[in-house]
Amino acid sequence: MIQLVAITDDQSAPAPPLRAVACDGLTAICAPADESRPDADSLWRHEELVEALMETRDLLPVRYGTLLADDAAVAQAVGGRSGQLAGQLERVRGAVEIAVRVADRASSPLSGQSAASGTDYMRLQAERVRIARVIHDELSTVARDSTTRPGPELMRGAYLVERGSVDDFVARVRRLQDASPGLDLICTGPWPPYSFADGEGS
Amino acid sequence: MSRIPDRETALVDLVDRLLGGGVVIAGDITLAVADVDLVYLSLRALVTSVATAEEKQLLPRMGSAL
Repeated sequence: MIQLVAITDDQSAPAPPLRAVACDGLTAICAPADESRPDADSLWRHEELVEALMETRDLLPVRYGTLLADDAAVAQAVGGRSGQLAGQLERVRGAVEIAVRVADRASSPLSGQSAASGTDYMRLQAERVRIARVIHDELSTVARDSTTRPGPELMRGAYLVERGSVDDFVARVRRLQDASPGLDLICTGPWPPYSFADGEGS
Repeated sequence: MSRIPDRETALVDLVDRLLGGGVVIAGDITLAVADVDLVYLSLRALVTSVATAEEKQLLPRMGSAL
C-alpha cells in the first residue's frame, strides 16, 4: 500500500521517501504507507512532509489516511477527476491557510461568572457570539476565502491568505486581539490549504 | 509552523485539518478508518484536557499564541 499525500501540478521530484506519480497532467505525491497506528507524533510527521512540499509548490493536501494499492490505483483515482482537481488547485494557488480561533478569556468581564442573572448571562453570551462573528467577517475581507468549522470556542475559522500577505493578516489578527480584551485569538499557521482543498468553504 | 508557541494548542488545528480537511479521494481507496477513528478519540481526549487547562489558566494566555 502507498499513501497519497498531496496533489500538485508541479513537475519537480519530491525528496525521498516521497515520490511523484503522474496522473493525467497532475502529479500525485505519494509516501510509503505508514501501517502503524496513528498518534499525535505521526500526524505531525505527516504535516512536516506536506509543509516541506508546500514551500516550493502549490498543492492540494489529501485527507490523512488515504491509502491505495499501487501506482495504477493512484493514477486511476486522481486521473479520473483531474479536471475537477485542477480547478481546486487553481483556487488555492499562491495561498496558504491560517487558522484563527476565538475563545473566551476566563477572567473577562464578559464571562458567565460575573453575570448577575440568567438574563445577563444570555445577553453577554449573545454579545460574545456577535463579536466573534465581527472578527470572522473582518478577517474574511482580507482573505481570498474563508470558512468556519464547529468547535467549543466562540469561533473556529480558517482563512485562505496570499503567501505574500501572511504578515499583514497576522498583524490584523493582533490588532483585533488588542481591541478585544475579553477574548483570546489563537492564530496558527501557515498551514497547507486543508480547509479549501475539497471544493468547500464559503 | 512558525507562529506556534505550543504544540498542544496547535494540535487542535492539526487534527481539524488532517482528519477533517484535505481532498477526499473516493473510489477504490482503502481508508484506515478504524485507525483514524481511534486517533480521533485519543486526540479528542487530549484536546478536551487542553481546553480545561486553559479555562483554569494553567497554560500561558492564549493571546500569546500570536
